[in-house]
Amino acid sequence: MSSSTNIALRIAAALVLFAVLAIAGRAQAADTLVKGAADYKPFAVERIGMALAGAKDLQAAVKAGDLKAAQAAWIKSRKGWEAAEPITGEFFAKLDEAIDAWPDAKQGYHAIEAALFTGKLDGLAAPVDKLVADLGEFDKQLKAPSFKFTPQGLINGATKLAYEIGENKSKGGESPYAGTSLADMVENVEGVEAVYKLVFHEPLKARDATLAARIIDKIEDVEKLVEVKDLKSVDQPALKKAGEELAVLLQNAAAKLKLKKPAVGE
Amino acid sequence: MPRRPQSPLPRHLAPTMGAVAAVALGLALAQAEPITTREGVLPPGTELNEDLLDQPTELFASELAGGKRSYLVNLGDLLFSSPEILGGVARQAGISCETCHQQGHNNPKLFIPGLSSRPGTFDVTGALFNPKADNGVFDPVTPPSLRGAKYLAPYAHDGRFPSLREFIRNAIVNEFAGPEPSAQVLDALEAYVKEISFLPNPKLAPGGRLSGGASDAARRGQMLFVKPFRKDASMSCASCHQPSAAFVDHRVHDVGSGGWFKTPTLVNANFNAPYFHDGRFDSYAEVVTYFDRHFDLGLGKEEQSDLVAYLAAVGDAKQATTRDTVQAELDEIAQFVSVLDSAIPSRNREVISLTIATVGNEWRELGERFPPQSDTSVDGGLDQRRRARSVVRGLVLVLRQIEMAIAVDDFDGGALAYGEYRQQAAAAAGDLKRTEPWSLFNPVVRDAHLKAIRQLADLAR
Repeated sequence: MSSSTNIALRIAAALVLFAVLAIAGRAQAADTLVKGAADYKPFAVERIGMALAGAKDLQAAVKAGDLKAAQAAWIKSRKGWEAAEPITGEFFAKLDEAIDAWPDAKQGYHAIEAALFTGKLDGLAAPVDKLVADLGEFDKQLKAPSFKFTPQGLINGATKLAYEIGENKSKGGESPYAGTSLADMVENVEGVEAVYKLVFHEPLKARDATLAARIIDKIEDVEKLVEVKDLKSVDQPALKKAGEELAVLLQNAAAKLKLKKPAVGE
Repeated sequence: MPRRPQSPLPRHLAPTMGAVAAVALGLALAQAEPITTREGVLPPGTELNEDLLDQPTELFASELAGGKRSYLVNLGDLLFSSPEILGGVARQAGISCETCHQQGHNNPKLFIPGLSSRPGTFDVTGALFNPKADNGVFDPVTPPSLRGAKYLAPYAHDGRFPSLREFIRNAIVNEFAGPEPSAQVLDALEAYVKEISFLPNPKLAPGGRLSGGASDAARRGQMLFVKPFRKDASMSCASCHQPSAAFVDHRVHDVGSGGWFKTPTLVNANFNAPYFHDGRFDSYAEVVTYFDRHFDLGLGKEEQSDLVAYLAAVGDAKQATTRDTVQAELDEIAQFVSVLDSAIPSRNREVISLTIATVGNEWRELGERFPPQSDTSVDGGLDQRRRARSVVRGLVLVLRQIEMAIAVDDFDGGALAYGEYRQQAAAAAGDLKRTEPWSLFNPVVRDAHLKAIRQLADLAR
């Protein structure tokens, strides 16, 4: 065997080894992400469970004609829902459409909110029953052992929600009648944080520790911007900027993790 | 009968009036989206009259002359739409110069409880936007049209600013609590406002005379307009509203309306209602009746009607409004973003930052014209709408990437991201135009969307 042939064989062997290691590394990364996605599921189950429990309390309070209890139950249900928002539209689009419809006077949280928080219980039985049914279906589908979150879907949902946190809330935000828009935003941030920390942080840290740290810092920035006494005190332009920056960083993270660039539509 | 002129009210009476008007407004302006919550920075009942389908036509002098908008004009137009140059509540609420002067014109439906006495008026010395400028008097005025502004000095209703530059600075710093604007910001805003042209009016000939097509009534009105007043032969309507000088005399006068106010132009004034500094009159007929009484002109009913016909001819325009479309919005955004062509290479951080923020807002607003899946009032085009929203949001994030790069002095990275933005924006145009039938640019879709909002609001009544 000539020396040149020997060198060529060594190079070929090295390339094969490199390719095998790369594939193995990618497979390991994918495994890590899939495990992270599985680790996230209990968080989503817990929050949707809270949304469903709140809706059932709301149903009982409406039947009992107890306005204050009904309002408190709506807020409890909403709190659970908002923290689960990274996954609601991304994985359960049809149910999301019914549960969080806007503008829609017939169904969903906001139809109930408009009447409930202006002191009315009349006519709420039907939309509340439907909300309970829709959330029950959501809960059932989510808990099914066959249902698994995909890492791509989770990073899509988290990136989209990071973008939406910065949407201008000067007109009262998502829940103007209940006055809980600030609480919605706090839950949204927690939802993004849960997805990132449970699924993506460790695998990303292994590939790009600087980017991973920047994302943690940016989540903290966003958290601070919504830790204010009321909606009027939110620095809207700063929140929009921070939300967009977080979305950009999550897009960058997706590239590092060999995922597709997250679309921020729906 | 004209309404009695309103005297400025002490501030403590203003909220009561505002609340009454807000209730009425909620019923009257059901086509829009008045603010309903106490949680936001603007009071409930606020109507900003945004997202008009038929927008005031805006013409630029340079383009009318066959040229193009300069960098300065584009930057000024961009800043005019930017809440970032204002401060306090205005910046928080996303209010910009454009809010009160839509497409450089006025905003006859603008209403802010506590600051407005009626739609189309606004107290610029109220406490909401700048507590330091609060004068304790409820004295709303109409935000004037800026068409032909370069011919209409002095500025502000009381004419206290000899130059547009001073007027603009006052609006930013004193009325809306903004930071002291830089020289380049003022240069650009001044250049932009000076570019806003009067709209062509085929009924007007050079020198402010009526053209051949005017009606007999308007011609009789023209004679009355220049006829000396019976109690003071040194005066006529035309002595202040000089036809050869854009129907102004650049002076302030006391015409019994509660102070000294500058002569407003009559060019394109059909579209400037409500009239007088405080918007007390809705129509020319009311204005003419008022002046007939104030100056004891002794005009008969027919003469008053002729004067109104003359004013309507002088105040007309060929095309006062223009239908808003996806293409029109894309064109405007392209003009705005073009300032980055020179701002990035010249490392002009202030302009880059203001452009990113403002253009990002414009894209966000455009994206909201494509209803999401959760908007159950809209049928069809779901895939297209999702795609449209996605590409718009993608563009917002590429813009943000530019600023993130420049924040760490990576101007090459910023330039690269800008290149990517341009490619994505070009590709997005087709998606967005194809989605127009299912967007709020379509009057049928828009009506269904607004009807659903009204139904939701009805639940809360």
